[in-house]
Amino acid sequence: MISMSLIESWLPELGVGALRTVEMASLAYLLAAVAGLLIALAEGSGLRWLYLVCRTYIEFIRGTPTLTQLFLIYFGLTSLNVVIPGFQAAVIALGLHYAAYMAETYRSGIAAISSGQSEAAAALGLHRLNVMRLVVLPQAIRIILPPMTNFAISLLKDTSVASLIAAPELMMNATDITSEYYMPMPVYLITGAIYFLMAFPLSLLAGHFERRSGNRLRRDLV
Amino acid sequence: MTVIVTVGGFVVSVILGLLFAGARTGRNPVLRWLAYAYVEVFRAVPVLTQLFIIYFGLGAIGIKLNPIPAAIIGFGINGGANLTEVFRAGIEAVGRGQAEAAHALGLSRTWTMIHVIMPQAFRVSLPSLVNFSIGLLKDTSLASAVAAPEVSFNAHMLVDRTFLSTQIYLLVAVLYLTISFPLAVFGRRLERRLTAGRSR
Repeated sequence: MISMSLIESWLPELGVGALRTVEMASLAYLLAAVAGLLIALAEGSGLRWLYLVCRTYIEFIRGTPTLTQLFLIYFGLTSLNVVIPGFQAAVIALGLHYAAYMAETYRSGIAAISSGQSEAAAALGLHRLNVMRLVVLPQAIRIILPPMTNFAISLLKDTSVASLIAAPELMMNATDITSEYYMPMPVYLITGAIYFLMAFPLSLLAGHFERRSGNRLRRDLV
Repeated sequence: MTVIVTVGGFVVSVILGLLFAGARTGRNPVLRWLAYAYVEVFRAVPVLTQLFIIYFGLGAIGIKLNPIPAAIIGFGINGGANLTEVFRAGIEAVGRGQAEAAHALGLSRTWTMIHVIMPQAFRVSLPSLVNFSIGLLKDTSLASAVAAPEVSFNAHMLVDRTFLSTQIYLLVAVLYLTISFPLAVFGRRLERRLTAGRSR
């Protein structure tokens, strides 16, 4: 029967898993944020072939499941004799996956800043890169803050998929404990609760950002 | 099988989403709070964890479900939480004056909802709904983890037999693309038509 002491004996392993989950999500988020920005900038650079490469990448990533991409990187590369440990494979797959989504978000954020601003900055003699860095991006970041927080939540949850390639994280440890004690119900319920504790604060933060940008918009309209 | 799980999950999601969106925007505080808790809990927990609770968890305490119904229930409950927010945003986008006007004309609250609010909210929600269906289609790949025989699971079996993992997973990716890409194009066209209608 399920007892408090039994649950206590699971908690250390689940705690370690949760830390690995946070680590995996943070690294993948960083990769996605940087790669996504590069893709968005390349897409808007005005070079036709670069635009096509970026669009193809984005459509491919958005049209296929994360799991398939994870399997392609982990099992696919292994069969080509490139062996990557599960954890790193998951960081790369999730990072590249979210990069495509973030590129779209950056793009819409950049597009939301009226072209008059960059024209004015260019007229004042700023270099194209500086126009982007000093004028457009600081304003675009405000707009994309709510969706970027939502990406953090989805990414955190999507790390659970990495358990399917046996990468060490929370879901993997939960499955390990389950196969040891055969008590899937309490183990997965506690796991779900841990995910909730990690994701809910982020969800509150996203709500806060959304309200704030909504208020700003309303104030701007008045 | 991928299609069955997707369509089944979609139908359950829409029904749950409509019910909870109604509760979330309604007047009863208990129902409103219940809908809020449902949305926050199911959006904060990975769908994989929810699938495992439904399939392995319920299985261990004597409620044995087959993989396909388990996947449909899991994706349905999870998707319902996402659609609750989508429909809520749609309902709130319809101006309050409309409900008041309908009320002044003597329509009951239920009729106002069905004849005045819903048709307009549906328009607003449609693009999100298409995006949701694409997401769901891709998420069904996770059902392979509870051994529901959809595309990804079959691919895994093939890889185990042939060891041609790169080719097979690429093929799987292309298979998903051929279903989800037309859906995305369809969604964009729909969106354009609806916004065109509004500006006119």
